[in-house]
Amino acid sequence: MATVTTEHYRAYTPRPFTREERDSVTILFGGLHWRAERVLQAVLEGSGYRARVLPIATKEDLLTGREVADIGQCCPTSFTTGNLVNFLKGEAGRIGVEELNKKYIYLTAGSCGACRFGQYHQSYELALRNSGLGAFRMFLMAQDQLDQKTAMGDGLDLNLPLTLGLLWGIFVTDLVQDLEYQVRPYEVVPGATDAVARESIEYLFQVFRDRPKRSAYRSLVWHLTTGYFTRALREVHRKFSTIEVDRLRVKPTVKITGEFYLQTVEGEPNYNIHRWLETEGAEVYPAAISVWMDYLLRHGLQRFEDYSGIEKGARLKLALGRVAQGIYRFTFDRLRRALRDLPHEMPNQFELRRLAAPYFHSRLDGGEGDMLVGKALWAHHKKKAHMICELSPYSCMPNTMSIGAMAGVVGKYPDLLYAPLEIKGDAEVHALSRCQMILTEAKKRAQREFDEALQSTGLTVDEVRAYVDAHPAMKKATYHVPHDGRAAGTAAKLVLDVAKRLGRRS
Amino acid sequence: MGLFTALGVDPRNVVFSSDTSEEQGRQFGKGRGTVDCCYPVKCISGHYGELLFGQKQKLDILFSPMIYTLPSFMSGHVARTLTCPRVMAAPENIKAGFVKERDVFAEAGIAYAAPFVSLDEPRLVPKQLFEGMRDVLPGLAREEMARAVDAGYKALFDFNDRLRRKSREVLEWCAREDRPCLLVLARPYHMDPGIGHEIEVDLQAYGYPVLWVQYAPVDDDLMAWAFGDDIRAGITKSAFDIHDVWPSSYSSNTNEILWGAKFAARIPWIACVIRLSSYECGMDQPTYTPTQQIIERSGTLFFSFQDLDSTKPAGSVKIRVETITHYLQKYAADIIAKKKAAAPAGCPLGVATA
Repeated sequence: MATVTTEHYRAYTPRPFTREERDSVTILFGGLHWRAERVLQAVLEGSGYRARVLPIATKEDLLTGREVADIGQCCPTSFTTGNLVNFLKGEAGRIGVEELNKKYIYLTAGSCGACRFGQYHQSYELALRNSGLGAFRMFLMAQDQLDQKTAMGDGLDLNLPLTLGLLWGIFVTDLVQDLEYQVRPYEVVPGATDAVARESIEYLFQVFRDRPKRSAYRSLVWHLTTGYFTRALREVHRKFSTIEVDRLRVKPTVKITGEFYLQTVEGEPNYNIHRWLETEGAEVYPAAISVWMDYLLRHGLQRFEDYSGIEKGARLKLALGRVAQGIYRFTFDRLRRALRDLPHEMPNQFELRRLAAPYFHSRLDGGEGDMLVGKALWAHHKKKAHMICELSPYSCMPNTMSIGAMAGVVGKYPDLLYAPLEIKGDAEVHALSRCQMILTEAKKRAQREFDEALQSTGLTVDEVRAYVDAHPAMKKATYHVPHDGRAAGTAAKLVLDVAKRLGRRS
Repeated sequence: MGLFTALGVDPRNVVFSSDTSEEQGRQFGKGRGTVDCCYPVKCISGHYGELLFGQKQKLDILFSPMIYTLPSFMSGHVARTLTCPRVMAAPENIKAGFVKERDVFAEAGIAYAAPFVSLDEPRLVPKQLFEGMRDVLPGLAREEMARAVDAGYKALFDFNDRLRRKSREVLEWCAREDRPCLLVLARPYHMDPGIGHEIEVDLQAYGYPVLWVQYAPVDDDLMAWAFGDDIRAGITKSAFDIHDVWPSSYSSNTNEILWGAKFAARIPWIACVIRLSSYECGMDQPTYTPTQQIIERSGTLFFSFQDLDSTKPAGSVKIRVETITHYLQKYAADIIAKKKAAAPAGCPLGVATA
């Protein structure tokens, strides 16, 4: 009892990753959807690093995560912690712990608040220690002001060309993901969309790995002006154009929102909700990583809005930030145009803020803040979806707050179909049956909307089908069905489109 | 009170909701919750309800600020001083429970004011409070709010200084008498008897002085003595730098808890640390192991009451309190002696060390 040590406790400090180790050390990363992970791997490899994507987290990883870290973690951290530990244990069994510590490092995102996401290095460290891997090197890519280079070493140089590559990689894969989810529910040949999506991502992998090397300034100019990526996306468009679709299948559109990890991954961490919704007869409107980053930009710039008139230079910084955000959105739109504007547009952050304002303050920090409320209202008012499926991790602090605030929104707009699902990772039946109840109503609405479209245009299903059959371009996955805000469902929009082409009034 | 008094509000017209209790929640907050979360946030429904429905005299304004950052003695030494995301957003969340079916505030004729306020950014606060309050205080001028904010800060700092002086006196008494004291590591809301369940009061009843980390003495001489070796060795940059134990120092109360653990590890007469944590506290969760490690490595006793909720588990608390006092009786003198031996010379608390 009461053993006093003069050596006080110190936090984990990993051995630095040095430039000389680049050829022998593999950077592990994960936590996004497979398309983004694959292309980011290409960017890292093209920049001279060895990179490897961690496998998709499983329920087994969840149990390991709960076992090896402090009690009470939010579910994404249990998944990611367990995922890392199980992968490393497997590799340690194959090559030994000493070799593992030499050959791999793990790179994860950090944060400067407000939720505990940024504190989870502690959980990883504890899990590694409890698994006998205390010497393994793990690094945070922090968003805050802390000096990372000192701790990380000079092995990873997050320079401008690399950052731009990662950013463009996310833009491009978000767009491909969005297109893929618009096509798959209507594909005539089952599996055709998956095959084209895989082929497209492998093609983009090569495109990003072979990205020309430039100095920082030249790289910026090149990324903003080059036709390199738009050409690649036009090729992806061509690949998708080979898929035949039947858009007269009436399906509700379900917009996915929620906590970043759960809305982004596709697998057991979110009960495979994307695929499950599709098998239940829905068209999924996935959550783009680009939108989340656009929110982070907006949120960060709000500080300068607040300090305008108080702090010298705040207005100038705000103006510069707004220009940067404009360029960000312009770039996304430019790449989207290369896919003939088929993927969904990026919602305007100021519109989301305005919509959410009566229910959730725009300065509240942590997670997705007011954006979840804003996106739900945006999708509802603009008929972008029949239903919102919000994925809320068990024990997620900021997400529970926006879900609570949504009670006020649903009170005012009872027509808004909103399904907040608490995701624990091991309570699948409960979450999915809850979702199914609301999905049933969404299906009814989609059918009603379709019937009303036929009624208002005086068309029959057979007439619409005959018109589409007579115009083969409309059967291609890349045919653009216009969205004029009158219908959320693809089938109803197609009816309205055919009516317009026929000169019918609706 | 400093703020409202300076704004010309008669102190008799400022009504605080009572201490948290299960009864308050049942009577005034039932059915108003919109989501399951930690008790310190969940219980706010009861406080709102009490102010709306439980007053003899009708209120005009319900004031519930969304506090983004906290003024902390660690400001400038840590990355940030943010509040927890649930605490800062609680007013929006709780409000939803009172407007989801019909606007209860409007029906009661009570204006709801929930200004967003960054208390650790004093230059910003007058603007934030002015914009958040002008609709409920007609005729309010910016200059008036700026003066009131100054008065509010002065009142707050005077209060903090007074309690810190008192804590220093307690430590000096312990050093003089070579008696142990306890340090509570918890969040500010645990001082509410309905949330912290007065566990520290039960311990104090056994004759052990109790300090709270929020009001720990932070005088220069004491800090130089306790943390000087680390600073000179280049491990930390200042007495309030915690990057040696906690690199992501952005949460104000988490920072203070981690610092408090370091403080306890270095002060010989703090023979025992009591950690309080509420059910589903996400901010506390990653800190459990490092806090315990920091304290126990120094030979200090560490006891943790986790998952505190609405009901006081009186039976188990009694057993734990008896266990803690038993250990203190048995080991406190030895702990103090060993920690004194390990401490640097020149203790400013008026006794010889090392």
